[in-house]
Amino acid sequence: MAEYWYIAEGFEERIKDFQSRKTEAEVNLDFEIPEKDFNAAGKGSSELKDLLKRLGVNSEILRRIAVASYEAEINVAAHSKGGVMYSAVYDDLIHIRFQDDGPGIEDIDQAMVPGFSTADDLVRELGFGAGLGLPNIKKNSDAMHIVSAKGSPTLLELFIYIS
Amino acid sequence: MGSKYFHAIQILDENCTGCTACVRVCPTEAIRVRNRKAYIDPNRCVDCGNCVTACEFHAIIPSSDPLDIIQNYKYKVAIISSSFFGQFTEDVSYAAAKQAVLKLGFDEVSEEAMVTDFMISIIRDYVRKNRDKRPILSSNCPAVVRLIQVKYPSLLPNILHQEAPMSILTRYLREKISKEKNLADEDIGIFLIVPCVAHVTAVHQPEGAYKHLQDGAFSTGMIYGKVRDILKDIQNNPEEIDTYPHGLTWALSGVQAELVDTDDIRALSVNGIDNVMDILSRVENHYLDQYDYIVLRSCTNGCVGGCLNVENPFVAMSRIKKMSKEGEDKPIHVEELEKLHAEGEFSVSPLAPRPIMELDKDIKKAIKKMKKINEFLTMLPGLNCSACGSPTCYALAEDIVLGKASLDDCVVLKRNNPANEEE
Repeated sequence: MAEYWYIAEGFEERIKDFQSRKTEAEVNLDFEIPEKDFNAAGKGSSELKDLLKRLGVNSEILRRIAVASYEAEINVAAHSKGGVMYSAVYDDLIHIRFQDDGPGIEDIDQAMVPGFSTADDLVRELGFGAGLGLPNIKKNSDAMHIVSAKGSPTLLELFIYIS
Repeated sequence: MGSKYFHAIQILDENCTGCTACVRVCPTEAIRVRNRKAYIDPNRCVDCGNCVTACEFHAIIPSSDPLDIIQNYKYKVAIISSSFFGQFTEDVSYAAAKQAVLKLGFDEVSEEAMVTDFMISIIRDYVRKNRDKRPILSSNCPAVVRLIQVKYPSLLPNILHQEAPMSILTRYLREKISKEKNLADEDIGIFLIVPCVAHVTAVHQPEGAYKHLQDGAFSTGMIYGKVRDILKDIQNNPEEIDTYPHGLTWALSGVQAELVDTDDIRALSVNGIDNVMDILSRVENHYLDQYDYIVLRSCTNGCVGGCLNVENPFVAMSRIKKMSKEGEDKPIHVEELEKLHAEGEFSVSPLAPRPIMELDKDIKKAIKKMKKINEFLTMLPGLNCSACGSPTCYALAEDIVLGKASLDDCVVLKRNNPANEEE
């Protein structure tokens, strides 16, 4: 399995600390993402956004979470055989995991290049597949982690600090 | 009162049956039924008027001003919303309907349609000067402005910070009349004839207004009967009056976006509050950044769908489209308007949020409350029947945690609990 890590400058220690403390999340929100269901795709991130508004998360941070989680949710719907979005709210950060059922990313570094896309015609017809998904998620996250390989499920994790 | 927010909607307890129809149509979940009576949370209400339309028992009543308040002013001016002219049968001409409003007792009658073209130029200018805030969101629907304040506060900087056409016209007329007639500001009464409760609210509590605007708002529905009586005489003895048929289309959703749209400005138009909320959520996700300007109207088809109108929004739209093609607009003095615009007379102060979503100011306490909400949610049946008086099971769980309701309010739980049956 290939692994990709991106950690924004200044967040290295906090991510390390998060990985080691293994605390339970305060609030969890799970959402199924069916394959190629573009009517439902976006509902998970929209519910997460409502939840975060209730918690009073700063509106600029909220927009970053909204953009990153929406992009990732659409990615799962467009490219995978379906998957689940697991959102975990801690008192200092939001951790979102997207676990899908394959078919995996052949070359993660290439997928990170803006404009690169493997989207099929159906996805492009619906106005997605511009090749900006992963770069956009990265841009809006404090840290991002991908584990994948061709023919395997993909795990995408993103971390955004709220305080 | 108990709130700093004015609303042009009131509930008549004696008519309310506690049916919860209003609870279910409120886009901001502002209404609850407790002890079989509906109650509107003034902090959450955005004056969209959905509940007014939904209530079958005349228990939710729009309030506008009584017509006789115009007698408190020496010089009385009416400004008519464009949607007004779509409310009559086809034998009533645009000019006759306008003439009839004048005869209600005004000294002068003016209309939104006069400044439509000028407004388009202001919008284009604003969009071009604020490219960093893309997309700019329209500000002419007061329900939408309030909706953004309560539910989408991160989008407040994107709102077009300029007065709406009827307020621009108000500023212009105040200047003009006080000079020409040599009258003091307090002697001039300027009133709007409006299609919706949000506009009544906006007259009484304008958001971001720097200057004195209108002195009252009259509902189209309220004056309709009187206007029709007057029309009978006018149709037999028509008099000349200026009209602006081209500008009337301001009342219709879609037209404003079409007019603003040009080589370097891409515009989108949305109507109906559910669509508006969907679009605002997408703007929040930066998913509509390809648009420079988005026109948002809370009512179906735009202002013709306002809850104070008498005609069906689709029929009214068709009539206005027909009228807009007949006749020429009287030219207006754009120089005067441009001068006032350059002086900043039409600017609006930065709009402030009215957040309603937060469970607590302290995020840790908010998380605790959220956990409790989720605990209660697992106990509730998940039917979202609103029989408890809250719109959904989630809303009831939230109300319980915020101390505004109890688990006993759930009708389904009560029925399924054998202990209750024995009582």
